[in-house]
Amino acid sequence: MTNNATSTRETMGSMTSRLSMPYTLTAGKAMGTFLAELGAQRIIGSRCAACATVRVPAQDFCGDCGAETGELVAVPSTGELTGWTVTERGILAFVLLDGTDVPLLHRIVDTDVSSLVLGARVSARWAAEPAGNVMDITGFAIDAESTVGALAPTNELLAPIEQLAYRMELTYEHSYGHFYGSLFDSVKNDRRIRGIRCPSCRNVLLPPRGFCDVCFVPTKDWIDIPDTGTVQACSVVHIEFVGQRMTPPYVYAEIVLDGTATRLIHSVGGLSAEEARSGIVKPGSRVKAVWSDRATGSLADIEYFQVIDGSA
Amino acid sequence: MVAATSRNVAVVGSAQTQLKAAWSDRQHVDLISEAVARALLGTGLRIEDVDFVIDSGSDFLDGRSISNCGFLGAMGAHHKEESRVEEDGLWSALYGATKIASGSASVGLIVAYSKSSESDPNDYWTSLAEPFTQRPVGLDQNAVAGLFAQRYLTRFGVPASALRAVTHRAWAAADGNTFVDATLEMLQDEYWSQEIASPLRRSDMARPVDGAVAVLLASKDVARQIGGSPVWVTGMGSAIDQHFIAARDGATLPAAAAAASAAYRMAGASGASDFDIVEVSAGSTAGELMVLEALGMAEPGKAIDLYADGASPGLNPSGGALPADVVMASGLVRLHEVAAQLGGRSDHAPQGARRGLAHASGGLGMQNHCVITLETS
Repeated sequence: MTNNATSTRETMGSMTSRLSMPYTLTAGKAMGTFLAELGAQRIIGSRCAACATVRVPAQDFCGDCGAETGELVAVPSTGELTGWTVTERGILAFVLLDGTDVPLLHRIVDTDVSSLVLGARVSARWAAEPAGNVMDITGFAIDAESTVGALAPTNELLAPIEQLAYRMELTYEHSYGHFYGSLFDSVKNDRRIRGIRCPSCRNVLLPPRGFCDVCFVPTKDWIDIPDTGTVQACSVVHIEFVGQRMTPPYVYAEIVLDGTATRLIHSVGGLSAEEARSGIVKPGSRVKAVWSDRATGSLADIEYFQVIDGSA
Repeated sequence: MVAATSRNVAVVGSAQTQLKAAWSDRQHVDLISEAVARALLGTGLRIEDVDFVIDSGSDFLDGRSISNCGFLGAMGAHHKEESRVEEDGLWSALYGATKIASGSASVGLIVAYSKSSESDPNDYWTSLAEPFTQRPVGLDQNAVAGLFAQRYLTRFGVPASALRAVTHRAWAAADGNTFVDATLEMLQDEYWSQEIASPLRRSDMARPVDGAVAVLLASKDVARQIGGSPVWVTGMGSAIDQHFIAARDGATLPAAAAAASAAYRMAGASGASDFDIVEVSAGSTAGELMVLEALGMAEPGKAIDLYADGASPGLNPSGGALPADVVMASGLVRLHEVAAQLGGRSDHAPQGARRGLAHASGGLGMQNHCVITLETS
C-alpha cells in the first residue's frame, strides 16, 4: 500500500465484538413429536413407505427419496454402536437403534473409551428432569446385556413441541488494519481526524481506506481533516432504543467534514428538547465537534457536534 | 447444452493474497482489494470493463449481516451488478461462467475471502448444523470428520497412520508455494500427536487461514482479444448430499462423484485420468482421500496409493486445502491455482500440463461439492 503514515503510532489493532442473537426455532410436526416424546422416555422414528426405511429422529420427509413419511413408529432405546469419535466436547457416536435403518447421532456417556468397539450393544441414558430437547437423552452407554428391541406402533402421541428458544453467541476480534488503525490512533492520542485522498478523483475519504470505492485505485496521501463541517441531512430522534448514548430528543445527522467527500453519521447535540424540535439543525448548518473526556480511539470520542455560526 | 459453455468462457486472470493463519493487521477489504487489483494485472482489462461481480463469503465469519454490502468498493463493484453466494467461491465461478456463457455479460469478476482468525471457526461450522438434534450433542466440523474418517478407515482397512503421508505431502507442497504461509517446520511433534477427533489428529485437519482470491472470467471474444493462451472452462458440475450426517454414507462422497461426473460429461472427458492437474479441497486427510476416489482417481479405499513418493505430480501442486483452508474461498483458490498453472503463471506447475480440474467442498462434513475443469489450447 502506498501511504505516508509510517510515523503514525499504531496502537489500535482490533476491537472485540459480541453478537448475541435470540431465535425461536420451529420444530415442525415430526421433529416436534420426537422432542416431545423424549420427555416421556420414548424415541419416535418415521417410516418411509416409498423406500422402506425407518429413520430416527422422525422426519416429515425422507432424506433419501424425498417422499412424505406418514407413519411414526416407536423405536427401542437399544441398539448398536456403528461409529464414534472422541473430541474435546465428548464422545459423539452413531447409534443404530434396533429396527431402524439410519443411525442416530448422539453422545456416549458413562463409558470408558477403551471399551468402545464397533457393533457393541448400547442403550439410552435418560435425563432425570426432561427439558423438552434432544438432551433428554443424556447419551448412550455400553450395555452388553441389552436385548434386541423391536419397533412398535405409536398409540397416543404427545403434542409436538412447536417452538424452542435458542440463542447464538458469537465473539469476534475485528482487525482495524492500517487505515482504521491510523485514524483511531490519532483520534485517541491527538484528537486529530485523518482522511486519505484518492489520486484519481481527488476526493478525501473518511474513514481512510486502501482503495477508492468509486475509482478502484489505491489511495495515496493522508490528509488532516478539521473537526468542522456542514450538515447534509438530519433527523430528530424522539424514540428510545437499546444502546442509545444521548437522551431524546436529539438530532442525528449526516455531516460532511470540511474538505472531505464522504459523509459522517454522527449526532448534533448541546440542544434543549425545544431546540432539537425547532428545526435549528438543518441541511447547510455549520457544526463543530465537541470532544468527550473519553479517549477510546473511536469516533464516539466525539461527544456530539454543535451548531456554530456561518450556516448556509 | 454441453457446447454452450465449453470453450465459450475463459479464465483470463486470477490472483490471491498470501494465505496465513492470521492477517491481524489487515481488514477484509484490504485482502479483497489486493486480490482483485492483482487479478486485473496483465490482462489489459480495467475495472470499468468488468460487467458483474459475484462474491463468496460468510456473514457468520465476517461478524456482520449481508457483509458484501460493506465490501463492494474493495471488490470494484461500485455501481455494478453484484451478487453474493453463501458458499465457496467455486460456486460463484460456476454462476459467473454460466452467466457469460448465456451471452448476458462478457467479463465477470469472482471474489472469495475469509478471515476465520477473527472468530472461532468451529462456531461457524456448528452454525451450519441442524439445531434440534445435531447442534446440542456437540457436533462440529471436527467431529463429523472424525466419524467419517473412522468409517472410511474401517471399511477399507486403511490404518490411521497411513494418513501421515497425506499431511506430509500437502505441507511439503505448501512449503514450496510462496502464497501459503506454511512450512514443514511448522509440523512439530504436538501437531502430529494432538488428538482432535479420533482417529484424526491436528495434523489430519485442514488448517483455517485468512486470505482472499479473485478470478477474472471472460467470454470467448474478450479472451481472444486479450491474447496469450486463454485457459478455457470446459466442464462444470455441483451436487449436494443430505444434511443429516448419520444418513450419509460417510466412507464415500456420492455428491462429489455426481459433481465430477457432470463436469466430465460436459467436458467430454472420460474421467480423472484426462487431467494433468487436480486441485482439491478437503476438510481432513481422510476427506481428501474420499474426494480423490469420488473423482475417480482411485478405487474406493485406494487413494492412499496416490501419495507414494514421486506418484501423481499433478495432485494438489499448491498443497491443497489441508495446510491452508480459507473457508468459503479454498475452492476458488484451487481454480486460481489450476488456471495459473495451466496459463504459465505459476512456479509450481507440473511440466506440460494442458488440462486441469478444480474441486470445492462446502457445508458441514463436506456436504456439498463443485467441480470445474479447465483446458489450455
